[in-house]
Amino acid sequence: MTRESIVRGVGLIGAVVYAAAIGWLYASQPQTVAQVTGGFASIVGAYSIDEQAFADGLRFFNRDQFVEARAAFARADPAERGARTQYYIAYSYYRQGWGRLHNDDALFAKGLATIDKAIALAPRERLVVDDPGLQIHSADELRAELQRGMTHELSDWNPLRVFRTRK
Amino acid sequence: MSAVREAVVLPAIFLTVALVGGLQIDARVALVPPSLFSLVLATLLFAALIRGGVVAPDRLLHSSRSALQNANGAVVLVSAFVAAAQILSMVIPRSGLPLFFADLFLLVLLVNALVSVRDRVHLLRSLAVMLGSALLLKFVLLASLSAPADSRTARLLFALFDAATFGSIAQEAQAPAAGYVAFAAVALFLIGVSLLPAPPQVRTHTALSRRD
Repeated sequence: MTRESIVRGVGLIGAVVYAAAIGWLYASQPQTVAQVTGGFASIVGAYSIDEQAFADGLRFFNRDQFVEARAAFARADPAERGARTQYYIAYSYYRQGWGRLHNDDALFAKGLATIDKAIALAPRERLVVDDPGLQIHSADELRAELQRGMTHELSDWNPLRVFRTRK
Repeated sequence: MSAVREAVVLPAIFLTVALVGGLQIDARVALVPPSLFSLVLATLLFAALIRGGVVAPDRLLHSSRSALQNANGAVVLVSAFVAAAQILSMVIPRSGLPLFFADLFLLVLLVNALVSVRDRVHLLRSLAVMLGSALLLKFVLLASLSAPADSRTARLLFALFDAATFGSIAQEAQAPAAGYVAFAAVALFLIGVSLLPAPPQVRTHTALSRRD
């Protein structure tokens, strides 16, 4: 094999890999360097979440300290590539935004965006979390609950709403 | 043209332009694909580059070349086209009357270049002027009209200007880095275009005119 063929072959492979990376960047729209490096690491199967930070996040979550929980989950999954972590972040938005009289639409919208991300990351878009502390175990149910919470309808004026419970 | 230039340098330049050209830096960073009209303009630009002797496609794709050489040539052509579309999309204002007029002027300039410019050097020069002017319009003139004002008087004047023009001139505010990124992308694109392989007769003609 001549030197020219090697240069051309290496150049072609390099160009294809570079073009694929650019295509991925356009498709995934990362916002931080951690998201870029984490994204590439997850493509080659080298990405893992920080278990210690995840455990911290769970502890905060179970104590209803949702802002702290999200900070810990974000530390555990800086590239936002972990479906389970994203599920808990979405759940934290749901629990924080839930109200007996009315829900916080802004938090629910963030929860909806996050649960969509979690669903997209899950294998075959199916995500089930077996946590006895949760009342909603699947991403599809949580998504529906968030959507319902943001919908304004006549039943919102039903006084019996005050007796409903947070899931 | 050397194998290194064709297989490594040109794809690297054009793919980098394709990446950087799509950067939209404001409150958040986004990568925006080229608009449909930019693709049309890029097609016209590419046709002008071929007719003007800036690029000879048969020196990149030809039956006499090996499969690997043709693959390298195809990568150069495709990446150059994507870079052209992305660079045009980047220098065109995003909304309102500036968008309309920039689209129109670029269309007229490119059609004019396509039918009248036959010389490689002249075409490269007019391309540099065209992209430079569009860059100045969007990232200097319009950016200064749309930048957040420091004082109350300036804010009042901007509000009056916006009301007088029915909000059709002012653009979304951009980060200061956006202009520098655009400048680098345009410079890189022009370097890439000037490195493309020209038809042999054009090179001879240029060499002869230089000797004269």
